[in-house]
Amino acid sequence: MISGIAYGVVLNDERQLRELGSRLNDAPYLGAPQAPVMFIKPRTCFRFHGAAIPMPDELERVEAAATLGLLFERDVTKAQPANALSGVAAACLAIEVCEPHDAFHRPAIRQRCRDGFLPLGAFTAFEPAFATADIHTVIDGRRRHTWSLSDLARPVPDLVAAITEFMTLRAGDLLMVGLPGDAPTVEAGERIEVTAQGLPALATVVQRGSIQ
Amino acid sequence: MKRARIAWQGRAVWADLVDDDQWLRLANGERVDATHAHWLPPVTPGATIFALGLNYADHSAELGFAPPSSPLVFLKGHATFVGHGGTARCPVDARQMHPECELVAVIGAPARKVRSEHAMDYVAGYTVACDYAIREYLENYYRPNLRVKNRDGCTPIGPWIVDAAEVGDPQALALSTHVNGALVQAGRSHDMVFGVSALIEYLSDFMTLMPGDMILTGTPHGVAFVKPGDRVICEIEGIGALAHDVEVDR
Repeated sequence: MISGIAYGVVLNDERQLRELGSRLNDAPYLGAPQAPVMFIKPRTCFRFHGAAIPMPDELERVEAAATLGLLFERDVTKAQPANALSGVAAACLAIEVCEPHDAFHRPAIRQRCRDGFLPLGAFTAFEPAFATADIHTVIDGRRRHTWSLSDLARPVPDLVAAITEFMTLRAGDLLMVGLPGDAPTVEAGERIEVTAQGLPALATVVQRGSIQ
Repeated sequence: MKRARIAWQGRAVWADLVDDDQWLRLANGERVDATHAHWLPPVTPGATIFALGLNYADHSAELGFAPPSSPLVFLKGHATFVGHGGTARCPVDARQMHPECELVAVIGAPARKVRSEHAMDYVAGYTVACDYAIREYLENYYRPNLRVKNRDGCTPIGPWIVDAAEVGDPQALALSTHVNGALVQAGRSHDMVFGVSALIEYLSDFMTLMPGDMILTGTPHGVAFVKPGDRVICEIEGIGALAHDVEVDR
């Protein structure tokens, strides 16, 4: 299981980067990102076995970004793309939940770190095909979003190489490989199901009120 | 009481400092000579590590920023930690590796929507960190970005955790950093923009802080850069002196 840290990556969706285009040259960014743009999810975000996502009282909607989580079984440091995934043992679907926001200048701690904001599906043995999977999001029975990990600006092996150039992904760490720039939003009471071929489906519900 | 995490006979164990910090007493009563201890980061596995940017007005001013109106918080992983007496890694091309002496508050009980006047009830103790920044890797995305702040072996922490009751007011402590014996950073925790209580109120308003979680509360005035071969000591009054060496990371 996750005994280490859950890391995520934003601005790794090629289409989103294309749409942002020259805006990334303006203040406050002053140029496209060079290193992977990463965030950390506290352990208090983890939700397992379909447990509900708690919707804070002060929010009406949250963003639900479906992605792939990789669980490392070996420490990976300064990997090359060709061997970058040799330390990955398992994978799961994940829903990166956040309060909607459109700025990337400062870490989105308040927006991303609320309790229960990272539902995780069951783990299965990692297969290389997962790194280019299509991921579907169904909300209350309607297909609301599909994206393909083959559209990542940094494909998964390149991403792991770029991250481990400066930090080790340790045995027990989880890495979410990117987020779709056009993730749907959901409100309290809505059911979310995330699927991708070969991976255990992840189904959960958004529930009003904090869950202790 | 002070408690440290040490490597002992092939295990990572917590131990209490006794007899004027000369000895470490293990949970089973055995004693280890502190001068020969192998110090590990006094960090609970899995703990969430919060850190603050621009949380001293004087440091903000010297970097050319106005102090933030709300806390500038970022998170750190655990591979970046180094125990007392360890080695911090300086990238081979880094010329702006900045040591940052910081007071670290350690959470002692689950904290959810805690008002600042009650925040001290949730603090177990304090330790010292040197939260290095490699400033040439700064980018304007989720700044300060992980390449600057979450590098392997770039956050010495320790030597131990001192119980909160022994430290008293966390906003009345002197902080200093010496590099090869020369004072490069000196400040007082009184000058924090957001003190420990305010930070606990801010964070616990939107999430639950858990026992073992740590808040690295930012660094005061004094930008100096270190290089491989340097000996660095970060000290906080009433808590301890955290020493490490800087070595090149090839």
